[in-house]
Amino acid sequence: MTGKIFGFIVAPALLTLCLPSPQALAETRGYVISWFATATYIENLKEACPDGRNGTIVDMHIRDIQSLGYTKEQATAFMNSTKDPENKPRELADKYRNSAVVNGKNVSIYSYPDAAQDPNMETVSGKYAYGFDLGGKNETSKFADPETSAKIDNQLWRAVGCEHSYLVRPPLMPYPEEVAWNIFIDSAPAWSLQITGEDLSKDGPVTVTLDRTTQHLERDAAAYVLAGTTYIVEASQRSHNVLKGEIKNGMLTITPQNVYLEGEMPHYAEIDLINAHMRLKLEPDGKLVGYWGGYLDWQRYAYMIMTRPGNDADHIGIYWALKKMADADPDPVKGQNRRISGTFRVEAVPAFLTDTKGRIIATPMGSAELAAN
Amino acid sequence: MRVRMRKVARRFLLAHAGLLLSASVSFAADASHPTSLRLNPSQYHQIIADTFGTSITVNGRFEPELREEGMEAIGAARASFSPAGIERYDDLARGIAEQVVDEAHRGILVQCKPQAATSRDDACARTFIGRTAPQLYRRPLKNGELETLVKVAGDSADTLHDFYAGLSTSLVNMLISPDFLFKYRKVEADPAHPSHLRLDGYSKATALSFFLWNSGPDELLLKAAQDGELHTKTGLQRQVDRMVSSPSLEVGVRAFFADMLGFSDFEIVSKDPAFFPRFTNRVKDDAKEQTLLTIVDHLIARQGDYRDLFTTPNTFMTRSLATLYGVALADKSDNGQPMHWQPYAFKDGDPRAGLLSQISFVALHSPAGRTSPTGRGKALREFILCQTVPAPPGNVDFKFVQDTSNPVYKTARDRLTAHRSEAMCAGCHKITDPIGLALEKFDSAGAYRTKENGVDIDTTGELSGKQFDGPAGLARVIRDEPAVTSCVARRAFAFGTGHFPPKGDEWSGIERKFADSKYKFPELLRQIAMSDLLFDVSQEEATAKAQ
Repeated sequence: MTGKIFGFIVAPALLTLCLPSPQALAETRGYVISWFATATYIENLKEACPDGRNGTIVDMHIRDIQSLGYTKEQATAFMNSTKDPENKPRELADKYRNSAVVNGKNVSIYSYPDAAQDPNMETVSGKYAYGFDLGGKNETSKFADPETSAKIDNQLWRAVGCEHSYLVRPPLMPYPEEVAWNIFIDSAPAWSLQITGEDLSKDGPVTVTLDRTTQHLERDAAAYVLAGTTYIVEASQRSHNVLKGEIKNGMLTITPQNVYLEGEMPHYAEIDLINAHMRLKLEPDGKLVGYWGGYLDWQRYAYMIMTRPGNDADHIGIYWALKKMADADPDPVKGQNRRISGTFRVEAVPAFLTDTKGRIIATPMGSAELAAN
Repeated sequence: MRVRMRKVARRFLLAHAGLLLSASVSFAADASHPTSLRLNPSQYHQIIADTFGTSITVNGRFEPELREEGMEAIGAARASFSPAGIERYDDLARGIAEQVVDEAHRGILVQCKPQAATSRDDACARTFIGRTAPQLYRRPLKNGELETLVKVAGDSADTLHDFYAGLSTSLVNMLISPDFLFKYRKVEADPAHPSHLRLDGYSKATALSFFLWNSGPDELLLKAAQDGELHTKTGLQRQVDRMVSSPSLEVGVRAFFADMLGFSDFEIVSKDPAFFPRFTNRVKDDAKEQTLLTIVDHLIARQGDYRDLFTTPNTFMTRSLATLYGVALADKSDNGQPMHWQPYAFKDGDPRAGLLSQISFVALHSPAGRTSPTGRGKALREFILCQTVPAPPGNVDFKFVQDTSNPVYKTARDRLTAHRSEAMCAGCHKITDPIGLALEKFDSAGAYRTKENGVDIDTTGELSGKQFDGPAGLARVIRDEPAVTSCVARRAFAFGTGHFPPKGDEWSGIERKFADSKYKFPELLRQIAMSDLLFDVSQEEATAKAQ
């Protein structure tokens, strides 16, 4: 299966040559990604996580303390004694962090998660998750997408969907991602998206172009991402992706293709999706809202989680769950899958986009502004 | 030590406080032709920057400014200090004085080194005070003043065992002195006309420098005052020419227009972020700056016709402002670096052109959640045309005007039409609304729109018998209104004197020369600076002198 998946890999530069130039078409709308996080679906938790053993953040800390050799009663007492009920007592937190043993030395479990004990976190056993049919052959691991009802691959959600910090609905993000996203907004270069087509008010084929810009996102007066700002698209081809797409009934989709966008820690170091799928709804207020899915490197995802500045999640549990649920790209030597099917929820707000010389290449509403400029 | 220092300084402060209050009370009594004007915050900032450099920060709050007859420069004549205000200026003074003598600055700002940092050194203190006090007081020190301030520094240094703390105490005294905080006009007998009085040279220098530079006189101007140069036409011309061609003129022009356009009200402007998310704090700051940059560029750099400020497509833009204006602006600053100002020109046919369509005007004169054609029209009448619009009666019913979701009256025009059906409202709205409605395609935050509640916005109107459609049409009509040029001239005079000019031939001559120059603003300033009206001694001043 993975051989087929990786057969899609084509250098983005080559694709650029194959597709028509966006400038040759009539209308290009510009956007910047304004919301990006793991797609969550928590409408029927009892069905999704029937065991409920992952519990709350306090339950997680109690489990961690137990892994150090304490009884549940002792661990509970420790947690009851802390002034901050959402954190372990400092001494125990340090001890837990350094509880992995490598070459006879105590080392950080976050640096050596394979040397840490698998907490055997409960994973999702429900029917639903957002996503796309990525061609996964294991029918028993398929979810149904609540919007499309299609059978989809999303083992990422299966791995993390019962962990307490993921039990949120948009506009909330899973806590570790939310913390990182708020740093990303104010510091890391934004990701841009262009839609080019002959008449974007009608159904038809389009070209979708993804890039990184040279400037971070701007916030509006309510601290959300500001719409209508101008961003310069970086000249580097590294994050330049040109995708074939289509608009139908107000929904933008793409022909599956690999996508690479350079990111910045502590948010995602990169968005690297193999066999990427997209569906984005064109909202009346000009926003795009929808999903991106594909196969991603589960270790890079775990790295993002593990280096979170505010770390109120079961990092080790997530690491092990991802490792077990990974469903693509087996290591030729060890056999361990290196990628996992997953889906992100994405929003984008309209923006002006220019090249590095300041020439406008996309406008918030498309052709009218472009012509005016 | 700090506590002890404060106690020492407090003693001196209390002594000055009485003087301050009595000064303000006595001088505030004659506001029609003031003999003293309180420094406003921008002048205070500018003097500190001119005297000590821009690395000395002024931290703290000032007494609220008082806007009278449309200008804070006029209100300054009536402004005094409240007891709480004295505390504020005391805090400001302390903050400045501590910085001036701190280890980072003393090497540059204190021109000598004491024999010992732990004790008094009157000679060194005299050097610092002897240079600083005349700059702050805008005149040479009188007999005994220097020694009094040196003694304060020395006594305080003795008490605190710290030369620089002593110097700081003395500087605090200067900064809270009425001689610093008030601009005085002092009269003397005119030797050329023994029966007449005239302003003394330093008062003339002060009037000129605040009028043209919004700051105190520089050394050359003080020297000209000392030499009597400002009492001769040639000498005055030389100084005025120098000042008008100085880069500091930009400071004065900015301060004048910030006052004339009511920009201090930006401190209380807010927009509902749910409806106007693009009106960020950065936009708020940039909006003022955009207008001031436009004005300085047009009036000074381009030597443009003042009237064309209302129609010029040329302005300056930041990326944040561009977002609210709905235009693209690529800013090549590195990620995370401050945004750059860039020249920007609206295209032919764009509804934006001139000051009235800038965010600083349309957003400043709108409530937080909706537009106010009445407020915008009133502001235009009062700020730009120097006309008076009566306040609404106390029992006015705003039910139609404020109900923006009224299913019948969907646009502001509809609502105001309904409101005007009440006879007591009709009169005033007739003079404000037609011009305000021309700006209705700019929402409360200043962003462009074409519809309100789904209905096309009608921006047609009429002023002085001339029909117009939309902001560009209004701007063209306003540009040609005679009141526009006479208003700015009168306000410029008031900026320099604290009162409007008297009617008469001399003033008419100034306005005529302004027109002859094709309304070049620096020429207007030059004419006012050269006129006797700027230095005119009032009857009250003459009476005060006689007493």
